[in-house]
Amino acid sequence: MSDAEHKPSDPTMDHVVDIADYRVAKGNGETSLLVTYSLGSCIGVTVWDPVVRVGGMLHYMLPDSSISPDKARQNPAMFADTGLPLLFRAAYKLGAEKKRLVVKVAGGSQLLDDNGTFNIGKRNYLILRKIFWKNGIMIHGEHVGGSLSRTMRLDLCTGAVTIRSKEGEVEI
Amino acid sequence: MNRVQDIVAAVDTLPPLHDTTLRLLTVLRDPHSSIEDIVEVIRYDEALTGQVLRLCNSVYFGLNRKINSLSEAMVCLGTTKLLHLIMAAHSSALLGKEQRGYGLPPGHLWQHSVGVALACDILGEKTRVPNPAPLFTAGLLHDIGKVVLNEYVAAEYAQIARLVHQERYAFNEAERMVLGYDHCEVGALLAEKWNLSAGLIRCIRWHHEPQSATPDTPDDPDRVYVDLVYLADVLCLMLGLGIGADGLNYRSDEDVLTRYHLTERDLEQIGARVVAELIQVKQMASQS
Repeated sequence: MSDAEHKPSDPTMDHVVDIADYRVAKGNGETSLLVTYSLGSCIGVTVWDPVVRVGGMLHYMLPDSSISPDKARQNPAMFADTGLPLLFRAAYKLGAEKKRLVVKVAGGSQLLDDNGTFNIGKRNYLILRKIFWKNGIMIHGEHVGGSLSRTMRLDLCTGAVTIRSKEGEVEI
Repeated sequence: MNRVQDIVAAVDTLPPLHDTTLRLLTVLRDPHSSIEDIVEVIRYDEALTGQVLRLCNSVYFGLNRKINSLSEAMVCLGTTKLLHLIMAAHSSALLGKEQRGYGLPPGHLWQHSVGVALACDILGEKTRVPNPAPLFTAGLLHDIGKVVLNEYVAAEYAQIARLVHQERYAFNEAERMVLGYDHCEVGALLAEKWNLSAGLIRCIRWHHEPQSATPDTPDDPDRVYVDLVYLADVLCLMLGLGIGADGLNYRSDEDVLTRYHLTERDLEQIGARVVAELIQVKQMASQS
């Protein structure tokens, strides 16, 4: 409930990744922390290469861009299938290498007692697993499911990923 | 005074809905309102007239000529769209503040409310509701009870959180158990005090429990409003639009989707539209 949960501690060094948005940066550059707020059923994905200290974060909201190709063209970070390639390619451009990437995932919440009708959260997570499996990408840490609202942070200098929710703060 | 009486008293202390907003609501409610009726409401409010003209001449609308009068503005943009934008911009005074008890920083409740209003509008179009006019307002005001209940939730947050996270109660159920009222009931009290229509009051009252909204008749035509506000709210919560300490801790009512033959794909399409439109409304609000 504190302000600190919602506001970056030092706005000049933190970069907020909005809903349907992504960002990559070098750990020694101007941005030292990537943060995204209000992850409900959406998914936050972080990538980090410890050798070149390049990191990135994506906050996508829906699984499949085929439901709205025009929205996907305007804003590919809205969907898992168009957003994930963007994130990885942008990280490679800054010198990250696939074999060294540490990948972490958070979000995918659901309503209480949902039996699969309002399952955007579950579908968001399943398509991620499918895309990663096809591309040989391993998930190194995750904090998914439940009915929480989550805040996800990636420290670009150390690669530490922390998740803050009403259940407390944990590193994954 | 006990807490329940305190909360009811707090409803009375909240400033009344802006006079122009109330009059616009009345005009909006009447499907036979003309452009002249709407202009008549707005022209006496100088600040609003200025805002409308600035909105019309902003980059958002991309008009290639300058709009100098209210009637011109209405003709160029269409009354419904313009009124929705006015309502959205106007509601920020009421909904824009931080809601500490709900873990919502400044602007987040407003963003959620506008998102739900936009989703209501799109759902109304998709399900072909005969008179969709009240839907936008219902969406915009559905969480108004949070503004009153906020400080009470903040004071008793530990107890509410325990019921939600350990005993798996829905957030509004926990509010009722701890405070005697939930934000839906308090919102309905406020809406009654503002003399809003019975239909709007029902939407606010039952937006987390549409199955409990007592139908006026067995084939209640107004039921669709309550159902669509529920769906729009659930969708915006899932998308994380103004989601706070309550998270997604609300009950799922799966019958609502099937009642309107909507699929998960429909919901996702609507979600994509809502977020794109919300980005535009926010840009416009910051320019006006």
